[in-house]
Amino acid sequence: MARRDPLFPNAAIVARREYRDRVRSPLFLVSTLILMGLALVVALAPIAIRYLDQQKVDRIVVVADEDALAVATIATANGIMNIPPVGADPDTWTAPFVFERATDFDTAQRDLARAQIDAILHVTRAADGRLDVTFLSSGPVDGVRSQLAGFTALSVGIIDWTSSLPPGSSLGAFRTPDFRAESISAPIEGGQAVDAVEVASRSFLGTVFIILMFITILIYGMWVATGVATEKSSRVMELMISAASPRQLVLGKVVGIGGAGLTQYTAIAIPAVLVLAFQHPIALAVLGESGAGLPIGGLTIGLLLAYGAFFLMGFTLFAFVYAAVGSFVSRPDDLQTLSLPLSLVAMGGYVSALVVLLGGGGVVGKVASFVPPFSPFAMLARLMVSTVQPWEVALSVAILLATIGIVALATVRIYATGVLLYGQRPGFRRFIAAARRAG
Amino acid sequence: MLATVTLEIDRVTKRFAQTLALDDLTFTVPKGRIFGFLGANGAGKTTTMRICLGILQPDAGVVRWEGTLSGDLPRRTWGYLPEERGLYPRMGVLDQLVYFASLYGVAPAAARRQAIHWLARFRIPDYAERRAEELSKGNQQKVQFIAAILHGPDVLLMDEPFTGLDPVNLALLREAFVELRDDGRTIVFSTHQMEAAEALCESLAIVDRGRVVAAGTLAELKRTSRARTVRLGVEGEILPSWLTAIDGVAAVRPAAGFTELELTPGTEPREVLASALARGALVTHFEVAEPSLEAVFIEHVGHPAGDDATLEKTLEKAIDEDAA
Repeated sequence: MARRDPLFPNAAIVARREYRDRVRSPLFLVSTLILMGLALVVALAPIAIRYLDQQKVDRIVVVADEDALAVATIATANGIMNIPPVGADPDTWTAPFVFERATDFDTAQRDLARAQIDAILHVTRAADGRLDVTFLSSGPVDGVRSQLAGFTALSVGIIDWTSSLPPGSSLGAFRTPDFRAESISAPIEGGQAVDAVEVASRSFLGTVFIILMFITILIYGMWVATGVATEKSSRVMELMISAASPRQLVLGKVVGIGGAGLTQYTAIAIPAVLVLAFQHPIALAVLGESGAGLPIGGLTIGLLLAYGAFFLMGFTLFAFVYAAVGSFVSRPDDLQTLSLPLSLVAMGGYVSALVVLLGGGGVVGKVASFVPPFSPFAMLARLMVSTVQPWEVALSVAILLATIGIVALATVRIYATGVLLYGQRPGFRRFIAAARRAG
Repeated sequence: MLATVTLEIDRVTKRFAQTLALDDLTFTVPKGRIFGFLGANGAGKTTTMRICLGILQPDAGVVRWEGTLSGDLPRRTWGYLPEERGLYPRMGVLDQLVYFASLYGVAPAAARRQAIHWLARFRIPDYAERRAEELSKGNQQKVQFIAAILHGPDVLLMDEPFTGLDPVNLALLREAFVELRDDGRTIVFSTHQMEAAEALCESLAIVDRGRVVAAGTLAELKRTSRARTVRLGVEGEILPSWLTAIDGVAAVRPAAGFTELELTPGTEPREVLASALARGALVTHFEVAEPSLEAVFIEHVGHPAGDDATLEKTLEKAIDEDAA
């Protein structure tokens, strides 16, 4: 005897009402404006990080086997790494690096570990006379600094090559110094150290994205739960369930509120995309010619799209569960009891993503990126700070979509029962029992 | 003229946890009639309506409209006014009427036109643009009634439609019932207000603990009733206190110039007269009247409608337990 109503047009009608109800609320407008401001800050962050990095003076210690080598290295490094950019005022310009000599490499390493210095330029001579130069830093290896250190190593090698010959004799074969840029704690990606500024930008952006996703999923999810609970408490639900099927109502609500979320996402993405489009002129204005030429890193169109996609899938998954939760309470006030465990689950995804962003993801981060409901957070975090194979993304998305389908079916059944309950205050155990029966 | 039977509730059974809400419930409703569905709280009226609408599924039995199973009917066949009134508090009255109608497939322009007509018909045309939360409860109830009928349903299921209405709005709603009936709609409503049921119903069913205990036209129910109503006038006393002490008197109601007594089945009116005279009363009026619907209800259920709230609580608890 059960009626099988088609999803449309009723799901679309419900979605339209939900959408209008949300986007016309003052709260929506205010939160959109705040998030737009936040998105602008995020988009400009890489330039800001690069700018702040320019203002910092790095203290680099030179450790060399021979006095002459140490002197030559400091002089050469000063000449190469402390060149004022074109147009810089020599009176106000500050050299970004300070070089000092140290005699004991172990002591220098301890100083580096304690952050008393920023890097070590270690110059040794091999038995065959070839120079061996190591640029050792404490954080992730900065591509720009290591390049400059590499030039310095080459120049020291040339000076050493020419100065070791007796006057009037001819030069022998030049042996290029061995050069390595290493870090005592650098993240490695694809076997190579990741650029420090790039890592900083990506980690910052990733953290902001994950926080944004966590907050918006919880907020929009609560919109869904509150919407259902309000319909129950105002008793309009009695009219609704006679006019439309639970399937139409649940899907309409999730799509309508998801649409409002997508509208907000678009609104906050537009300024970010504009900043990206004009990133070079902005960098030129802020960093000058020398800084603007360097890779900015950070936010990209691809990452924005990934954020949008994982946000939508994550929201949809949580929204269905929130709809089921909302159908089980008689008043919006009762949502606290049931929504807390759900918030903790979302928190699990958030924490797993942060672990990935901090470089400690390992197996846990990788597994979390495939397991809903953590995967929207963890996979996005992995995409932000490491190389992810296309099949991994495809598998994660496929598992997520399948889970959404299963949860949606269970939600419709829970909802159909839950919306008729007005009696006892439901606890989490009763909800789980109903969910298991629905499943 | 014999009306065609078009709504059939056929041996419907529904259990919530350990509670049997509907027990082989069977009755029929003639097409184009106003049908009263009477019962105490928790008797199973709302459950029956929800099963008709497809909101609940019966454990056994079927509901048919014009021979078609209710599950195969389009939703717009039914109009429903639930007992628990509710509207979107912050949504405009006209907007939500159009919204509800559109869920039943009515084009927005037609829904708007019809909504404005009915708002005027219920004397609240100025409230069209107001939020529902700004309306009085009575006016909200009228808006909800309009929401139930706007799509032109064949069958209107109304759960306690007269509760909370003042006499003016009660009269308006009764007029609307008659108008819809004349337009060919079938109206099924539940109520505690026996006067309203008596005034409007052409046929009815009395349900007790999930079973139909009496059904038929109002005239049939009264004719077959063993209940008796006696109108007794006593000089100098409007409502003599000793009336309730007479054996066989189930209920006493004061009226203009006399007191109306509902007698228990088997009690003869002349026994009441004899008892009154034996008490030395100067009887000025004695009349054996047709039993009221309330008397018929009490005869079948054992108590007046609305007296038993325990059943309703038991059923609510059972529904919750059944869900979990």
